[in-house]
Amino acid sequence: MKSSVFKSWEFMLAAVLVVELIVLGLINPAFLNIENLLFSTSDFVHVIIAAVGLTLVIMTGGMDISGVSVMGLASIVLGLAFVAGVPIGACVVLALAVGLGAGAFNGTVIAKTDVNPLVITLAMLFLYAGVASGLPTLLDMMGFAVAGAGGFEAYQYEGISGLPKSFTWIGTGAVGWVPVPLIITVVIAAGATYLMHRTRFGRFLKLIGVSAEVARFTGVPVTRTLVTVYALNGFAAAVAGLVLTAYFTSARSDLGAEALLNIITAVVLGGSSIYGGQGSVLGTFLAGLVLGFLRQGLLALGISSDVVPVIVGALLIGSVALKIGMGVLGTRRANRRAYETERAAVGGNG
Amino acid sequence: MMKILKSRELLVLVLLVGMILAVATQNKAVLYPITLINIVNSSLFLMLIAVGQMFVVQTRGIDVSVGAIAGLSAVIFGFALNAGMPLPLAMICALITGALAGAVNAVGVVFIGIPPIIMTLGTLGAYRGFMRVLTGGSWIESIPQNIKSFAVTRYMNIPLMVWAVAVLVIVVAVLLWRIRAARNFYAVGDNADGAYLLGINVKATRFAAFTLSGLFAGAAAIVFVGQIGFVPMQTGNGQELKAIAAVVLGGVSLMGGTGSVWSAVIGALFLTAVDSMMIFLHVPGSWNNAVAGAVLLGVVVFDYLIRRTVRNRQLAARAAEMRRAEADQDRGATSTTTREMAS
Repeated sequence: MKSSVFKSWEFMLAAVLVVELIVLGLINPAFLNIENLLFSTSDFVHVIIAAVGLTLVIMTGGMDISGVSVMGLASIVLGLAFVAGVPIGACVVLALAVGLGAGAFNGTVIAKTDVNPLVITLAMLFLYAGVASGLPTLLDMMGFAVAGAGGFEAYQYEGISGLPKSFTWIGTGAVGWVPVPLIITVVIAAGATYLMHRTRFGRFLKLIGVSAEVARFTGVPVTRTLVTVYALNGFAAAVAGLVLTAYFTSARSDLGAEALLNIITAVVLGGSSIYGGQGSVLGTFLAGLVLGFLRQGLLALGISSDVVPVIVGALLIGSVALKIGMGVLGTRRANRRAYETERAAVGGNG
Repeated sequence: MMKILKSRELLVLVLLVGMILAVATQNKAVLYPITLINIVNSSLFLMLIAVGQMFVVQTRGIDVSVGAIAGLSAVIFGFALNAGMPLPLAMICALITGALAGAVNAVGVVFIGIPPIIMTLGTLGAYRGFMRVLTGGSWIESIPQNIKSFAVTRYMNIPLMVWAVAVLVIVVAVLLWRIRAARNFYAVGDNADGAYLLGINVKATRFAAFTLSGLFAGAAAIVFVGQIGFVPMQTGNGQELKAIAAVVLGGVSLMGGTGSVWSAVIGALFLTAVDSMMIFLHVPGSWNNAVAGAVLLGVVVFDYLIRRTVRNRQLAARAAEMRRAEADQDRGATSTTTREMAS
């Protein structure tokens, strides 16, 4: 039914983004400084990265709320490995592998049982958060020696700083005018878009989202596809965790724990249906930018950060209500048109 | 044995007792009455929001805003007390706040048709933000300290608060058992279309579930403030996920239509007991979440395996029966044909 590009949800989001930037710029011209604008994205791109991964999962009609814990887990794994003397490149690979593995574990349990994905990933959310916060003490108990008082346990509260420049560049560096975190985000979003719209795997995701049962009978490898998509989501969450770690130049087990509302809002505002079968990575990306700049803009205007979640929550509910409303209007219009054609046809015959 | 395994409340209760006894072999202090009373006492908050959550999950919804509702109700409770209201009136204010907040969720879910997780996630942010806006981000500390009397006064060594919640839970359980309309929660959760055809008011039932969830969150707020005597900004933070974990652990399926008040009670007790057991085993508190997550995961997967085994057995039995019936029919068919040929 998409008659033109201009009626698509993504186009509306892009328009909202432009209007938002103009309005915020009119109120506070300093906001429109292009360099500021680009670099302020570093505050919130971790939400977009995680949301892109979640978009793929939600496409299948699934859900994964454990991503926020995987962010912290990847961060603390990187930090502890670094303190233990592992070269930083290997630390990054290890942290990403942990994210991938955690996601694949989610996917395996979800695909092999009929338990609601929300329940499974709720358990995983606690499990990964607990492992992340417990890892330092576990290493102490296992007798790994580390320089400095308090052993690994001290890192649990303070975070691990002193990460090398070559790593923190991921979060704080820039290529020309473009900050590295934004480049990583665009690369991941582009990769996910390609995966979703240009590969067989992407078609499988949508098929499963429409009906897992039908997909299975059609010969779609449902289990393999689900494990892969949850693994990719875990990977995205780990990347988000590492970008955030590099940006804060400190590895902590509780990084990203507050991001759940923002991540799901970005996905849903981006046009994905949580019932599956509908969604777009571009929409999620744009929605993430809209949300992020809104937050930045409100803070720049001196509005208390306490009000921001109220507005984000209202946006989430409002956008879904709007879509439902549009759907109802569309159905009504189609019904009326069908009725009129029918009547014309009957009238013509009579 | 199979019957115990099939009732999730009993299964978790057995697990709970088993866990406490296992820990007791390492550290006898677990079995002191005071320890057990303390576990129950510190589970009251989670228990109440879990009971509220139970209604919503039973009707196939989910309410992730209960922690924020409890926070908001606690703030209103604190304001009311500081304004010099008598305790009962302040309590009613807190309960009304909770019920209203729940009703807002209900309006979005029932009348607009927003998916429950989206609606309540949105209001989670909104209520929490609103709570901070109301207080300006600072704690409410100057509450008259006589409200703590409920938590401090003990009858038979057990705090009055525990007695009060126990009475409340039993009353709710009896009401749900005796009132016919209470069955509507099960019916709507199991099959909303079927319930509609039976003449059950589906919308009203779901509306009631969300409102009750808010109401119990308000009650939880009263308990919380009564126990600690002030209102910190973190009130109810992260408790929404614990409440869902508690009811799911206790056997309420997110697909609706199952579970009881006891699911919520036992689930909440178990999750709280896990935290205490860690202390008695000298495991650092940083592992609490990992253990809670592992238990929840283990129980739901185990539950799935049992259901699968039961279903497979039923299917096998039915298949055998059909094969037998088919064989009988064949024999019958051949005998009639021979009779026909003979005639």
